[in-house]
Amino acid sequence: MNRRWKVLGRNRTALLGGLLVAVVACMALGADLIATHDPETRTEAFRAPPSRAHWLGTDENGFDVFSRLVHGARSSLLTALSAVGLALLVGLPLGLAAGWFGGLVDGAIMRVVDVMLAFPSVLLAVAIAAALDERSLTTVVLAVGIVMVAPFVRQVRAAVLQVKHEEYVTAAVALGCPVPRLLLKTVLPNCMGPILVLATLSTGLAILDAAGLSFLGLGPPETSPEWGVMLTKAFRYLRHAEQWILLPPGLAISLTVLGFNLLGDGLRDAFDPRQSS
Amino acid sequence: MTYLLRRLVWTGPLLLAVSLAVFALAEVLPGDAADARFERHPEAKAQWRARRGLDDPFLLRWGRYVEGVVLHFDLDRSYLDDRPVGPELGVKLQATFELTLLALLLAILVGGTVGILSAVFPRTPLDAFGSLLALCGISLPVFWLGMLLIVFAVNVLHYPFSSNRFAPDLDVSGFVTHLYLLEAPLRLRFDVFFSCLKNILLPALTLCTIPMAVITRMTRSAMLDEIGKDYAVTARAKGLRRRTVILKHVLRNALIPVTTITGLQFGQLMGGAVLTETVFSWPGLGRYIVEKGVEARDVPVIVGGILLVATLFVFVNLAVDLLYAVIDPRIRKQVA
Repeated sequence: MNRRWKVLGRNRTALLGGLLVAVVACMALGADLIATHDPETRTEAFRAPPSRAHWLGTDENGFDVFSRLVHGARSSLLTALSAVGLALLVGLPLGLAAGWFGGLVDGAIMRVVDVMLAFPSVLLAVAIAAALDERSLTTVVLAVGIVMVAPFVRQVRAAVLQVKHEEYVTAAVALGCPVPRLLLKTVLPNCMGPILVLATLSTGLAILDAAGLSFLGLGPPETSPEWGVMLTKAFRYLRHAEQWILLPPGLAISLTVLGFNLLGDGLRDAFDPRQSS
Repeated sequence: MTYLLRRLVWTGPLLLAVSLAVFALAEVLPGDAADARFERHPEAKAQWRARRGLDDPFLLRWGRYVEGVVLHFDLDRSYLDDRPVGPELGVKLQATFELTLLALLLAILVGGTVGILSAVFPRTPLDAFGSLLALCGISLPVFWLGMLLIVFAVNVLHYPFSSNRFAPDLDVSGFVTHLYLLEAPLRLRFDVFFSCLKNILLPALTLCTIPMAVITRMTRSAMLDEIGKDYAVTARAKGLRRRTVILKHVLRNALIPVTTITGLQFGQLMGGAVLTETVFSWPGLGRYIVEKGVEARDVPVIVGGILLVATLFVFVNLAVDLLYAVIDPRIRKQVA
């Protein structure tokens, strides 16, 4: 494991990705300290250009764009991490069970996964968000997270199948290790590489999907400081404003997702050399 | 053989399960379009619900729906005006299909070329550029890209952007399909063709970014895998030119995984196009499902639309598996 982290440490693009993610994480954690204004309090200035008081200007509602951007990091990261967490929470046990027990259990789980994978992912997220009928970040988390369950089950199952017949697993079985303990202590730790890679790349994807749902009007309400919402509103008011207002939220989303993708690629090179490109 | 046969046989039950899932999703949808339609006439609404059989048990309604779809290609009627939703969905589907096809074509052209060049000249500025392009393709929100493209095209290039499929003064009354871009050249209607091309170009450019990124990465890694193999080295050693080895030997083998991933992308795009369609107001299926279905709560539009896309998706993926056997003689031999 240590050697692998060293490989990651030598990978400059992965470090850049890590740096981008770290910056966004700092923004999210210290949002209240960094933001110059309250993101949901109107100021006197409407559509003001950047100035000393408003670093990125204000939007058509008089909200300070910089402060909303900083707070947006919090909701974006929170949404994406919760969605991936949900996918892990459901996908990990199912994938473990499918891979380890095989047979009927595997068949039943994988048939359900097949049905979920029969939908193009964006459309499935739209359908779930519509059925939940509440414009909130929770809806987005559920929609994006549920869509991600199927890929997680597949990945975990594939990883389990790879280590299942390794000698150390056979040895643990021969020693009479109880199944839950065996799965948690022997199988799972040796499957962590590909799972870690998928989780990292999925976090980036979740940010994109969440922004997409916001853009389609299925995300959080219009006043919430969220990158997808900001971008959507900027686009709608484009006629009445300077065109650069598209840049702050768009760049924020892009750079964050780029960070997760670079980091994920680096993790793949370090932990899963067979699959690296 | 068994694998492909199993896939084929499994398709039927899979689609049934998919339809059940969509039906169940629509079931939990709070309220429907009829609420607004019969706002002041609750008794008329009750009559209408009885006439449409909407008060029947869930499974009965599902069975009736499946029967209608399978036997009569009937996708039920709208809750708003009782007109069949099938024909309208068909028109929208064709618009999406044309957009997806062009985007995928662009993606294969650009992604394939960049991917091959990156693999042939690894660790050069060209390779770095290819990687950057691919990274941007999967990292930038596609609808943001569309917005930027609109702003750039309209304000800088003064590109006459319009969200129609072609200029409204053109007469297309003789057309059989709504695949104008494909049908126009066949009818020698080049005015329609160029008008369509002009309007489809920006959305297609936007939509092609994700598949382009995926194809670039896949082509590069598949080519790199194959270039190092013994047969490629042997071909070089026996005196074949590098270009011949790469184009005739290596590319043929690298094409196999690339074909798979391209097919899968096609399926994803049919549904994923909804974001691009919304930015450009393209009259496609995804946008129709969101605007007419989800926003107005017209349940048959949601169910029919999603089912249509999912069915296509399943069949495209099946076709990819079959194609896989066709282009790879090794698999073909196993199958036969």
